Amino acid sequence: MLNETYDVLIIGSGHSGGMAAKILTEYGIRCIILNAGPVADVTHDAQRKHAYELPYRGFRPPGQIEHVFQSNGFNANIWVDEREVPYTVEQNQPYNWVRVRLFGGRSLFWSRQSFRLSDYEFKAKSHDGFGEDWPVSHADLAPYYSRVEGIFRVMGAQDGVPQLPNGNFIPDDAPWTTALQRFIEVAKPRGIPVCKQRRAQGRDGLASSVNLLLPDAESTGKLTSIANAVVRELTVDKNTGLSNGCNFVDRLTHREMRVKARVVVLAAGTLESTRILLNSNLANSSGLVGHYLMDQVYGPGVLASVPEARKGNINAVMGSAAIVPRFRNITTKTDKFLRGYAINTTASVEAVSARNFALYGAELQRKLEEYYGSGFYMTIMGEVLGRYENHVRIDKDAKDAWGIPVLRVDTKYTDNEFHMAKDAVDTACELAEAAGFEILSKNDKPNPPGYSIHEVGTCRMGNDPKKSVLNKFSQSHDHKNLFVVDGAQFTSSGWQNPTMTILALSMRASEYLAGEMTRQNI
Amino acid sequence: MRRRDFVRAVLAAGAAPKLLLGQQAATPAPPPPAPVPWLLGLTEKTPIPHVEAADQVATAAFRFFSPEQMSTLTRLSDVLMPALGDKPGAVQAQTPMFLDFLIGSSPEERKQVYSKGLDWLDAESKKKFNAAFATLTDQQAGELLKPWLRTWLNDHPPAEEHADFVNIAHDDIRTATVNSKEWSLAPQKGTEPRTEEELYWSPIQPDLSPRNVGSGSVQPHVQAVPPSGHRMPSYQR
Repeated sequence: MLNETYDVLIIGSGHSGGMAAKILTEYGIRCIILNAGPVADVTHDAQRKHAYELPYRGFRPPGQIEHVFQSNGFNANIWVDEREVPYTVEQNQPYNWVRVRLFGGRSLFWSRQSFRLSDYEFKAKSHDGFGEDWPVSHADLAPYYSRVEGIFRVMGAQDGVPQLPNGNFIPDDAPWTTALQRFIEVAKPRGIPVCKQRRAQGRDGLASSVNLLLPDAESTGKLTSIANAVVRELTVDKNTGLSNGCNFVDRLTHREMRVKARVVVLAAGTLESTRILLNSNLANSSGLVGHYLMDQVYGPGVLASVPEARKGNINAVMGSAAIVPRFRNITTKTDKFLRGYAINTTASVEAVSARNFALYGAELQRKLEEYYGSGFYMTIMGEVLGRYENHVRIDKDAKDAWGIPVLRVDTKYTDNEFHMAKDAVDTACELAEAAGFEILSKNDKPNPPGYSIHEVGTCRMGNDPKKSVLNKFSQSHDHKNLFVVDGAQFTSSGWQNPTMTILALSMRASEYLAGEMTRQNI
Repeated sequence: MRRRDFVRAVLAAGAAPKLLLGQQAATPAPPPPAPVPWLLGLTEKTPIPHVEAADQVATAAFRFFSPEQMSTLTRLSDVLMPALGDKPGAVQAQTPMFLDFLIGSSPEERKQVYSKGLDWLDAESKKKFNAAFATLTDQQAGELLKPWLRTWLNDHPPAEEHADFVNIAHDDIRTATVNSKEWSLAPQKGTEPRTEEELYWSPIQPDLSPRNVGSGSVQPHVQAVPPSGHRMPSYQR
């Protein structure tokens, strides 16, 4: 309907936008979702191929997505093309911004690790004095976490570790394989907990907004969705100073259009939501929009080989995966760094990659056969501290394919992150050696910031409007009808994959918003 | 067919059903008069032509490496990944030719690793054996290469000069060879690496606007014939 004013405009259709749409429409609120990219239809847009049928034999096409280390020749076209939507960085400060603009966004492809944050994160400042506490605690979010875990069908064990709160899980009672048993035996006396992995099972092998959230919203009849709608900026009612919709440009035809709404919910992903706010000059009385960019340290790790599993003896020894939740600075204190890291641990039954042997030719092939299925991977997920100077701003000199000013990312890791990475690798090596595994390769250098695809923090929430952008309900301190429900609202990054927390916060914000609209406060 | 005619036809069919069926099988209904809706014939049953990747059939012009660099790369590929068992080696899998294309299309930094690395390797060979790397024996090539081999994790190849080239090239040569059609067609034994086979996503609804540089080659619509000597009808769409 032309000229219709919707109740709520939601920008973005990933986990956070999908959750907002589900909750709001189930309250009978009329929503419109704008998504910057097309609908992904796997039956039309994808087919099985051999690498040699691809333009670059399975290598990623040069120049298209230089910063997406996760990409390859098969999936190159699902990521945002950096020539179409560029971003700029400071010299010698690389940043990997990994984006998907298909309907459902990155929820189509996430790794599905599903952890809660604990009060070691929510109340981190109270614990160690750095940064700010969140305006919410685990108790505030627990009911929402439980509902989210139900929807996403998270499988896990009730490990009962305070830094990794229990949840509403499909029980995982599979026994540990012997490789993991050996690992646990050496970790325990060192005070290092080892927990079962927690992973969203979803439905039919997919745990995405497009199959778990958006269908519920659509079945209410209250949701309108537009694909290929690239938001240029939010529009503002001159009389009230409140946002009343947005201007967007059609991705395919470059036609300029607008939609009107009483409330705006930003769910475009941390940095896109931030970019829209900065390009709209909204919600920034604190001057903090774009600051405190955080993510997690990824890249450092150790690959070991389990001797008993070699020469084809994989069964019973290998398989199964564990999460070592943060153990530094919980009950003891290290003076090397603040906060801590988790270690993802996998006893792989796959081939060990050739780069783990300093050999070539026939000698290498013999080694690959012998070590097949004996790889024991330990990789770090480390908390990055929120620092004011790590920020994004609008780069006035660069525009994307639709003439929208792009982001300049100005961020780098500090000694805290580097020391943490080194400690993680030293600890993983110590554990592997104690367990009798052979260390094949290790790396203590972090990947560039952003690589984890866990960027958060650029519209942080808090109780003080001078020190935060959003209040405890993800609502702008400045404009009561403006919400940001994605990772931008995080006050600290934690070591945990942020998805469950994003979903729980979006659910909580949406119910608060629905209540406020019912009470006609908004 | 007007409704009354249709009713009459149905009644006639009822009178002589067997005769009619026999006729139908022998001569299918004639095609409808022009204009013919040709696209009706394009269905899910339409045969799809089988095509080959061009580089399986045609040769490409070298465009990046110099002839000397190409000889060095070819020998290096053969040493690092010789034919083993039933599987082809890098040279049989046309890997050097492919790398000329891949590296030649790549950003400057990657180009530099290769061209400087190949030049260095050949210079080392001349220094030590007084012969081009392309002519070395396996033993001699090994003496030059082995000191530089390192183990490394994803995304973190050695940064040290020369070791970076040797290990990155080794990894690229292996990937390009394992992902070749020659490798894929050779019989698979045991735990030998397999050619990757996955879901390939084609470009999804590209931006149609000619203003977008990234999609400059995509025509927004069927173009009107450009002006020429003879007047052709042309109009704005």
